[in-house]
Amino acid sequence: MNHEPFDTLAAAYALGALDGEELVEFEAHLAQECARCAVTLRESYEALAALARSAPPAVPPPEVKQALLSRIAAVAPTASPRRERGRGSLPWIAGAAAAAIVAAAFTGAFVAGHYEARLGQTARELAATRQRLEGEIAVLNDQLAAYRSAADLLRDPATRVVTLRGLGPSPGATGWVIWHQTVGGQLFVANLPPPPPSKTYELWTIGEGAPRPAGVFRVDAEGRATHRVEPVEGGKPVKVFAVTLEPEGGVPAPTGPMVLASAK
Amino acid sequence: MTGSGAELIRQMVAGDREAFARFYDRYAPLVFPLIQRILRERADASDVLQEVFWEAWQGAAGYDPARGSPEAWLVTRARTRAIDRIRAMRRRSETFVAPLHDALAAAPADPGGDVAERTEDRRTVQHALAQLPSAQREVIELAYYAGLTQTEIAERLKQPLGTVKTRIRLALERLREVVRPTT
Repeated sequence: MNHEPFDTLAAAYALGALDGEELVEFEAHLAQECARCAVTLRESYEALAALARSAPPAVPPPEVKQALLSRIAAVAPTASPRRERGRGSLPWIAGAAAAAIVAAAFTGAFVAGHYEARLGQTARELAATRQRLEGEIAVLNDQLAAYRSAADLLRDPATRVVTLRGLGPSPGATGWVIWHQTVGGQLFVANLPPPPPSKTYELWTIGEGAPRPAGVFRVDAEGRATHRVEPVEGGKPVKVFAVTLEPEGGVPAPTGPMVLASAK
Repeated sequence: MTGSGAELIRQMVAGDREAFARFYDRYAPLVFPLIQRILRERADASDVLQEVFWEAWQGAAGYDPARGSPEAWLVTRARTRAIDRIRAMRRRSETFVAPLHDALAAAPADPGGDVAERTEDRRTVQHALAQLPSAQREVIELAYYAGLTQTEIAERLKQPLGTVKTRIRLALERLREVVRPTT
């Protein structure tokens, strides 16, 4: 009999690509213990294993091994899960019950093991999310405190709102200072580009005499900033608010270009 | 023979968990990239990896060295389980189609530090693969890594089924030659 059609079927079978009637036909042929097809399949599987081996190895996540070892330990508390069975001394019903218990243990261990790796990952993701949320909450709390103090200030008739306009390098920037001479206030900035590396924005209050440093502040990715401004010593009046670009950490007297300033 | 894969499997049959741990350490880095390549989702790949080694532990007694190497035993199982999962996903969502012209031909970079034998082995197989006509590489890719049957491949490539079958046979003949022991 011509064997060649089976050689073709065997190749597709080895790749897992055989389907329909041909799959049925080939499996019937294999069931007759065709030595030639057995060799073809064995060599094909070895070739495909060699192909797998030709890829760079990758270390799997450690929790997989951990889950497997605990599954095995759960199923086989002794080191020997496949001991020789007692030779018919148990009534069959006891054997069946034992089998059911083993099956239940297997299922439980399977389910547990199956989800352990997933659970580990989920736990890590949750921890990361929680950390991120805590960071976001801290930022939101700061903002809330700023808005509250601004709102409180606005209830005081002595409070004024000063507008700052962008200058030179950042004409699109805007700012407001909600200002109370003896209590201090809040600076709100919008559309101010983040400073270049190793630079920072610094606020100045200008009244009588030289500009006084009123703190450095950060700009977020959207160009916004909120900054608490302390009152000038002795509650002296401020005529102008200005923001300059300064070396990181800030300086005692302005050196860099002015990016925002209020009208005199 | 001590410490060989077949030896480890024998010890696993006897319930030796140490042997299983060593078996895992040896073969998981080989099997995992294959599963990942088929599934692409790392979480799914981890699940399947676990399933495969769990089955290996439970089915260790069924391993017959006369029928193939431990690697072939594991790789065949891993590929089948990964493809099962792919097919289940496909049933759920018809839109999932594994990327086609994946760099099957592009020999992956050698990570270095491997024993000479393995490096040699890798070069030989990569070389054999590179020698295949692209149409033959393509059917291997679609069948083995994407899990399409020959009928599906024929539809996808708009080729007669007979042509696909021939390509599969020729491709596998060439790959088998590489690993066939010289007699």
